[in-house]
Amino acid sequence: MEQNVLLQLSHISKRYKTELALKDINMELHPGEILGFLGPSGAGKTTTIKIITGQLRQTSGEAKILGTDSANIDASIYERIGVVSDNSGIYEKMTVWQNLNMFAKIWRVPRTRVEEVLRQVDLSEHSKKQAGKLSKGQKQRLVLARAVLHKPRILFLDEPTSGLDPTTAVEIHKMLLDLKEEGMAIFLTTHNMEEATKLCDNVALLYQGEIVEFGSPQELCLKYNQDKRYQILLDDRKEIILEQTPENIRKIAEWMEKDQVQCIHSCEPTLESVFLQVTGKTLNAW
Amino acid sequence: MGNMNKLAAVAQIKWLCMSQNTAVVIGPFMVIGMVWGFKILYSSFGPDGKLLPVMMAMLLNLGVTMNICTNGFLMVGTAIAEEKEKHTLRVLMTSSITGMQYFIGSILYPFVFTVVINFAILWVSGIDMSQVSVPVFFLVSVIASLISCVIGMIVGICASTQMNANLIGYPLMIVFMMVPILGNMSEGLRRISGFLFTGVVTQMTDCFANGMEYKIEALDIAVLFGELIISMLVFLVMYRKNGYEKD
Repeated sequence: MEQNVLLQLSHISKRYKTELALKDINMELHPGEILGFLGPSGAGKTTTIKIITGQLRQTSGEAKILGTDSANIDASIYERIGVVSDNSGIYEKMTVWQNLNMFAKIWRVPRTRVEEVLRQVDLSEHSKKQAGKLSKGQKQRLVLARAVLHKPRILFLDEPTSGLDPTTAVEIHKMLLDLKEEGMAIFLTTHNMEEATKLCDNVALLYQGEIVEFGSPQELCLKYNQDKRYQILLDDRKEIILEQTPENIRKIAEWMEKDQVQCIHSCEPTLESVFLQVTGKTLNAW
Repeated sequence: MGNMNKLAAVAQIKWLCMSQNTAVVIGPFMVIGMVWGFKILYSSFGPDGKLLPVMMAMLLNLGVTMNICTNGFLMVGTAIAEEKEKHTLRVLMTSSITGMQYFIGSILYPFVFTVVINFAILWVSGIDMSQVSVPVFFLVSVIASLISCVIGMIVGICASTQMNANLIGYPLMIVFMMVPILGNMSEGLRRISGFLFTGVVTQMTDCFANGMEYKIEALDIAVLFGELIISMLVFLVMYRKNGYEKD
């Protein structure tokens, strides 16, 4: 295993009785990288996280986390990784400070780190507040703060912004990008393709337990950008979409020369449309 | 050292959760209050305002077995169920806490409470302490409390919500509490009671209340340790099968 490979999945499969939940999953995760597992509900995202973190045993294949086979890991692995699931709970009757301090004791993290993380997630002012009285976004920030309290090398996030309002989701995104800058590797599962495009260095499109595409969001979008088109807004507020043909290129050049173009955008596909092209299904239709 | 650290943290989390749960906090005081109330009530039937031995036996049986059953079955069971309901159990289990640390941390305070409150019940009942063999009472109390806490852990594994934990815990409580108490009225129940750990407790308190010397017999030891081992085995089998939380 390469020194800088924190996580390696080789030919992972998982079978539940007759149903094959994961088929031949392969991937690697490196420090400072955000890897997105993108797929609809039931695609196998959570199953993958559970296998990697030793909560579930795979049927075949090998999962290595921080150099150790996931079949051989014990509870001590959680001292080096952080896990946030879509329903990670908090102790609602305890204060924000107590919620973090308890876990600081488990991981033997100094008080100064608790204060630092509280500042990072902008909850310092609320440290004495009962956690149950926080807003939904603040609760999710607290969950994230707890997951990174011990400075894990890999952070697993299962639908971290699911059910959050756009403003809070943006706050969470900023936090994740800051953590990435600090060198933390992040394994993110989501069915939100905008989130994946914004955050991920690489994405794996998961469909019916299988990775149907893998690459950076840009690579994937360009790969499926076969019919090049441009969306143009002209001075007269007329919005048109033109395919890339010699005639249309001349037309666009002429409008630009006459300064009649308000704005122009290339119409490469989004991850959503890539997913649709590859699988014939939409991500959110599930 | 690291393990002790984690164990202490789990116990502290459990303590904070329990101390903020009104029903759990009130429970032990209700038992003590009930013993005190019945003592005053029953005293009016006795000569010189003193409790008749039969009344004292009933009072102690009720107080001690209720304390053991409610603290163990319900306090421990509902605390685990609450963690499942609020999705904090998985968070703990993915924070490097082992199953054993969670087990010990979960039962530590309820177990200590149960033993301490058993002694408080003795004191509140007003029994002449010269009639009580404190080491024997302590030993039986400790083992019975431990069994009830382990059964509470089993209740916690089976239950998915606090309501569910109560639904499982109450029938168990009725069996383990009422069979020994009603044993005085029915020969059949008395025989069954002899094979329950709470039955051993009531036999002991009966002797103390009647001013008789209580000699712990081989069958009593077998019942206490046998049920402790059986409850531990049932817990282990269930834990190995599904962990604390079934996927």
